[in-house]
Amino acid sequence: MKLTVKFVVLLTIAALALSACGALGQSQPVVMRIGWAGSPDTLNPGAAVLTEAYTIFALVYDAMYQLQLDGTFKLNLAESVSVSDDGLVYTYKIRDGVKFHDGQPLTAEDVVFSYLLYQNTEGYPWMGNYTTYFEKIEATPNNEVVITLSEPIPNIDAQLVFLYVLPKHIWENEDPLEFENVAAVGSGPFKMVEYKPNEFVHLAKNPDYFGGAPKVDEVIFQTFESQDALVQAIKTGQVDMITEMPATAVETLKQDPNIEVVTGAPFAPSVTDVIINQVLPENCPPEDGLCTGHPALLDRNVRLALAHATDKQKIIDVVLLGYGTPGTTLIPDGLGIWYNSSIKDYPYDVAKANQILDDAGYKDVNGDGIRETPDGSRSLTFRINWPSDSIDSPRLAELLSEMWGQVGVKLEAQALDPDTLTSVCCPAFDFDIIIWGWGSDPDPNLLLSVMTTDEIPTGSSETGYSNPEYDDLYRQQASELNLEKRRALVWKMQEIVFNDVVYIIPYYEQNVQAFRKDRFTGFILDQPKVELSDVTSLIRVEPVR
Amino acid sequence: MNRYRYLLQKTGWALLTILFVLVLNFFLFRILPGDPARALTRDPRMKAEAREILRVRFGLDKPVINCFETLTPLKLGDCRVNPLDTQFFIYIKNLLQGELGISYKTNRPVADILAERLWNTVLLIGAGQILSIVVGVAFGVFAAWKARTAIDYGALITGLVAWSLPTFWLGIILLFWGSTQGFPIGGKATPGTGAYPLLYQIGDVANHMILPTLTYIIVYMGEYMLVMRSSLLDVLAEDYILTAKAKGLSAFQILKDHAMKNAMLPIVTLIAINLGFTVAGAVQIEAVFSWPGLGGAIFEAVESRDYPLLQGTFLLIAVSVILANLIADLTYSYLDPRVQTE
Repeated sequence: MKLTVKFVVLLTIAALALSACGALGQSQPVVMRIGWAGSPDTLNPGAAVLTEAYTIFALVYDAMYQLQLDGTFKLNLAESVSVSDDGLVYTYKIRDGVKFHDGQPLTAEDVVFSYLLYQNTEGYPWMGNYTTYFEKIEATPNNEVVITLSEPIPNIDAQLVFLYVLPKHIWENEDPLEFENVAAVGSGPFKMVEYKPNEFVHLAKNPDYFGGAPKVDEVIFQTFESQDALVQAIKTGQVDMITEMPATAVETLKQDPNIEVVTGAPFAPSVTDVIINQVLPENCPPEDGLCTGHPALLDRNVRLALAHATDKQKIIDVVLLGYGTPGTTLIPDGLGIWYNSSIKDYPYDVAKANQILDDAGYKDVNGDGIRETPDGSRSLTFRINWPSDSIDSPRLAELLSEMWGQVGVKLEAQALDPDTLTSVCCPAFDFDIIIWGWGSDPDPNLLLSVMTTDEIPTGSSETGYSNPEYDDLYRQQASELNLEKRRALVWKMQEIVFNDVVYIIPYYEQNVQAFRKDRFTGFILDQPKVELSDVTSLIRVEPVR
Repeated sequence: MNRYRYLLQKTGWALLTILFVLVLNFFLFRILPGDPARALTRDPRMKAEAREILRVRFGLDKPVINCFETLTPLKLGDCRVNPLDTQFFIYIKNLLQGELGISYKTNRPVADILAERLWNTVLLIGAGQILSIVVGVAFGVFAAWKARTAIDYGALITGLVAWSLPTFWLGIILLFWGSTQGFPIGGKATPGTGAYPLLYQIGDVANHMILPTLTYIIVYMGEYMLVMRSSLLDVLAEDYILTAKAKGLSAFQILKDHAMKNAMLPIVTLIAINLGFTVAGAVQIEAVFSWPGLGGAIFEAVESRDYPLLQGTFLLIAVSVILANLIADLTYSYLDPRVQTE
């Protein structure tokens, strides 16, 4: 026993001594350590679905466009673009002299190869969606990429922004689905040094980056399984930045003079939604539909009353300790110009909610405190479910239960395993109300599609909402090339679904992150979105001298 | 002769149990809802074709077994399909070839993930086990020898309290305390030191092990201490100990030559069982300290409902527990020859 203890103590001393020596050594590289609670699912850009993977891709790869923190797109790999008059042919002039991390040149050939790989590998979960409109992709001898579309679309930037350009000379010999891509050779501002799944991602600066070399030498993302550990790690200086934290830790971290806590809309703006099953019998999916939703929820009056009975500010204060903004529709405020800021939310007004239900004939006939439907056949008792892995939903459900109880509506609350929830949700429509959420694409098209009639049988529509006017506007905005006109259409669509009370949106969650201001400076903090680990920020940060 | 029969019988039972676990393990995760394609279907970016290809990739397009298309939801199917073309027999066939499937979440072979993680767990939990056995047994012997004195009561209470501490809570407390003392609180090594000298790396790993190992020792030594103490007390009450005392043997000699061998039997059982679970790691300790071991893998797999990974870890744990028990049985037959004839 003694021997073992001695051994451990000795080793510890050795380790401390060595690390002390290291600290005194000359020309130490500037290392930025980032703590996060996740880890990329895979480094194969086609196969990945997690945000963490995309964060790393943005650092080691380049795409045609780069998404800025204000929600706009900037040309990145291309120095210029020209569009044909019919909006079908885009010609991108690729920057000359761009090199991959292994020294090989990046040319239009690599871009074309990558786009075709994404388009043709059918097992890639999301890439098919970003490459739908590509009819022909070619490289010209002038280092240009010519993309011919099958129909004009308003948002080619949003299609190309996540299509990272891969080195053809490496990927052409690999199976596109199986390839783990641990070395992740790209052309971005950082290059991969070492990747250990679920432990860390170690990156070093690419001194030859065309956009200018980063000012830190190395960036290390370290995975912490528990959020308490994350908070302790930044407090004690084991990491320099954390990308998330429990809301309960915010106040203590703010007290620390060396730590700056920042909040704002997340990079992928997120929505927490209360999904109301309103699928009409005639729209019930013939193959998978069970459509057991409560009939009262088909009545706009009931949905409107529930909206008036929802105290969103209280929900934000209790569930998020204030770190959120009240929501109106599925399009979150983090989407910039696409968010309809002119919509006035239904005020929290219990008396009004009661009045609406009274007027519509929902009375408590049997005196049990719960209203009945006008024909007296059913009480306003709704099932409410949420994914069991959600931390916030149980509290939200409890608050809704309390608030809606004041207007004579009873909720039967139950958490469900996410897979079970998917199977009762859609396209089965075997539920009344579900609490769930979305992470948004930078373009509103995706979330707008969720409310169209076409998506009811596919399982993407969660509410079963169907409105021909909305469907028509959706098709118009999808091919409207004029930005201002498209914005007007998108705003109009939000107005429609808001007036129909398709969803109740309790809040848009905010990102809460922190960094050591005694060590690093230069983060982008003046934009609507806050994402310290985004490439646009990490390329600028520098150590405090 | 008797001894061989005993060995054969025990080994036979162990093999049968493993077979049972194999079957159970398969059906358990087919009854649970979970399908990588379905988990992604709610995202409109996922196209029907991509979904189908994922299902083929994970082998979910095939019937579970003859007569059953899927178990959850229950769908009956054709009974006359070729059994070798069902998920069950493909699973058995792959297992025989050492293939454990592909992780839903990371797209990597489960066997690769387990191989990486197994050694981390053996390192951490192995060190924790050995230290807690040594500390626990030593305290137990000491407490028994000083029975019914203040030392004994003190040790007893400490042991009971330590044993009943919630692991997760203790881990968090040690994490908070340790972080202020400069101990690393996450991972098994400082990231980015892969190219440093070997001695530095060993020291670094040892440094990362201090807090999780300490948590482990505090929680598990109580168990060893309590069992050792009561077992030794029983033995010390025997007549032959009195005889030994009467012969004028020293306390140390009595303990070493007369009492310990008999008192160690329950400890052997306990060690064997706990060693089996060593492979399972301590899910909570690994989760608190982000230790990249099997316990951490279980934690992550549950979080992301990565059933192939869970299935693989369960199998590995079951096999190691069964093997550890078998070893315990065999050691027992050596320590106490009576068990063979019973």
